Amino acid sequence: MRAQRKSVADSELLIVRTFKAPPSVVFALWSSAEHFKRWMGPKDFTCPEATIDFRVGGRYRAMIKSAEHGENWFSGVYREIVPGKRLVFTFAWENEGPSAGVEMVVTITFEERDGKTIQTFHQAPFRSVERRDSHVGGWTEAFDKQIAYAENIAKEQAA
Amino acid sequence: MPDPLSVTFSALSDPTRRAILARLAQGEATVNELAEPFEISLPAVSRHLKVLEGAGLINRGRSAQWRPCRLEPERLKAVDDWLSLYRRFWEESFDKMAAYLEEVKQGEADARPKKKRR
Repeated sequence: MRAQRKSVADSELLIVRTFKAPPSVVFALWSSAEHFKRWMGPKDFTCPEATIDFRVGGRYRAMIKSAEHGENWFSGVYREIVPGKRLVFTFAWENEGPSAGVEMVVTITFEERDGKTIQTFHQAPFRSVERRDSHVGGWTEAFDKQIAYAENIAKEQAA
Repeated sequence: MPDPLSVTFSALSDPTRRAILARLAQGEATVNELAEPFEISLPAVSRHLKVLEGAGLINRGRSAQWRPCRLEPERLKAVDDWLSLYRRFWEESFDKMAAYLEEVKQGEADARPKKKRR
């Protein structure tokens, strides 16, 4: 339960990773389609298609595929680009499914430390970053408490 | 008819409604109580509540006079499940990213001596 509540407190999806490379290199893995295709997607997926128009207002579109899940297209628009430091873009799945039509905003910051890069990845299902940032607290707290509550109900029902 | 998750997110994509949910996480409340912290009219609050109720995020007592609002946890649970899928999606991508970075660095070292120009 602790783990789950933690994930809920980070409810808008926050993933911090340290990479053994300088920020300019890590950043390039996002900005170049050639690089992007080499790592994008969960472990059983490949990313055979990606086009990237890397400028503010420019679009990217890519497809990941696996034997089990077929082809999955996603796309979005770049909102902020600060080379080696910060990247903001929208993200939406194009396929049918539970996530279709939900536009998310991805914000990634890159921070150099001892020649390594701390990449902070944030994704939220809201259309506007400004709106999200102004009410992160309330949203998170509501989640935090409610999920604990939901878990209790689930436990009671199981008992 | 949109899928439930889209309805939930659409309902959540408003700061006032999220603030209302945060308040309800602390316990049930009447419309008047919910309206207090906001500089918006009572009918405006009622409209927000209608959206939240339509999305199944809250329910309201049936008594006409006293209709306290309560949070409904199930839909938020669905949001959490959905987010955890995304978490896996990105975490596994970043595993591959780290492995690929090693390859890139190796390739660089093999191909040419490191020389950076500004």
